Amino acid sequence: MNRILRALAPRRTVHAHCDIPCGVYDPQQARIEAESCYKIIAKYAESSDEVFRQRCLHVKEERAELTKHHIDVMWHDYFKPEHVEKFPDLHDVCWKASKQASQVKRTMDIAEAQKLLDLIDRIDEMWRETGGPSTTRMQQLQPVG
Amino acid sequence: MAVAGSSMEPALRDGDWLLVDPDAFRHRPPTAGDLVVVPDPRHRPRLIVKRVATIDATGGLVLLGDAPNASTDSRMWGPVPVSEVFGQPWFRYWPPRRIGRLR
Repeated sequence: MNRILRALAPRRTVHAHCDIPCGVYDPQQARIEAESCYKIIAKYAESSDEVFRQRCLHVKEERAELTKHHIDVMWHDYFKPEHVEKFPDLHDVCWKASKQASQVKRTMDIAEAQKLLDLIDRIDEMWRETGGPSTTRMQQLQPVG
Repeated sequence: MAVAGSSMEPALRDGDWLLVDPDAFRHRPPTAGDLVVVPDPRHRPRLIVKRVATIDATGGLVLLGDAPNASTDSRMWGPVPVSEVFGQPWFRYWPPRRIGRLR
């Protein structure tokens, strides 16, 4: 029986998968990195220590790159066509946020960092309005009082 | 071909064994509702099975999984040209209790 089955077994596999769907999305991940950029820019402005200021430049660039990555994950992976129907400016907001993260990467202007935070908050709003908090995050147990 | 994954449930299940006709669309184009095997647009050596949802204005096949919540499909990578189609699954020969023609 096993030999017959082995002879009949298909030689190729056809995939009916989705991408590994961990399904966990939250714009706060982008927001935290963007807040780091904001705070680093503030500390940079206050400091006169050149070594410290050099480190600020370097670390802020890293954080801005991570912000952009997390924005892109929301845009590419979380949002679906039905969300775009609900929010026609969804692509525009995500695109601007992603571009703004690039802008923050190359400037020490705190106003640019604030713009980035505001754009991420708009993504957060759309995530909330499309049921993100209940469908993409694990529910945490509330501490029992 | 052996099915791996659950994006086509309930029509196709993980572990189903299928016969795929490579000449199915030689004399007629695929139409909405047809099952098709195509190369994965993001990793071509890999074959995937989906169902034709609609045909767009330029003749591209808009492919969707039957289980939309567990499927990566044209919603992610856009329509697939008809010329890409590898074949049409038409018969399931395993498991025994689900043997039969596919639709």
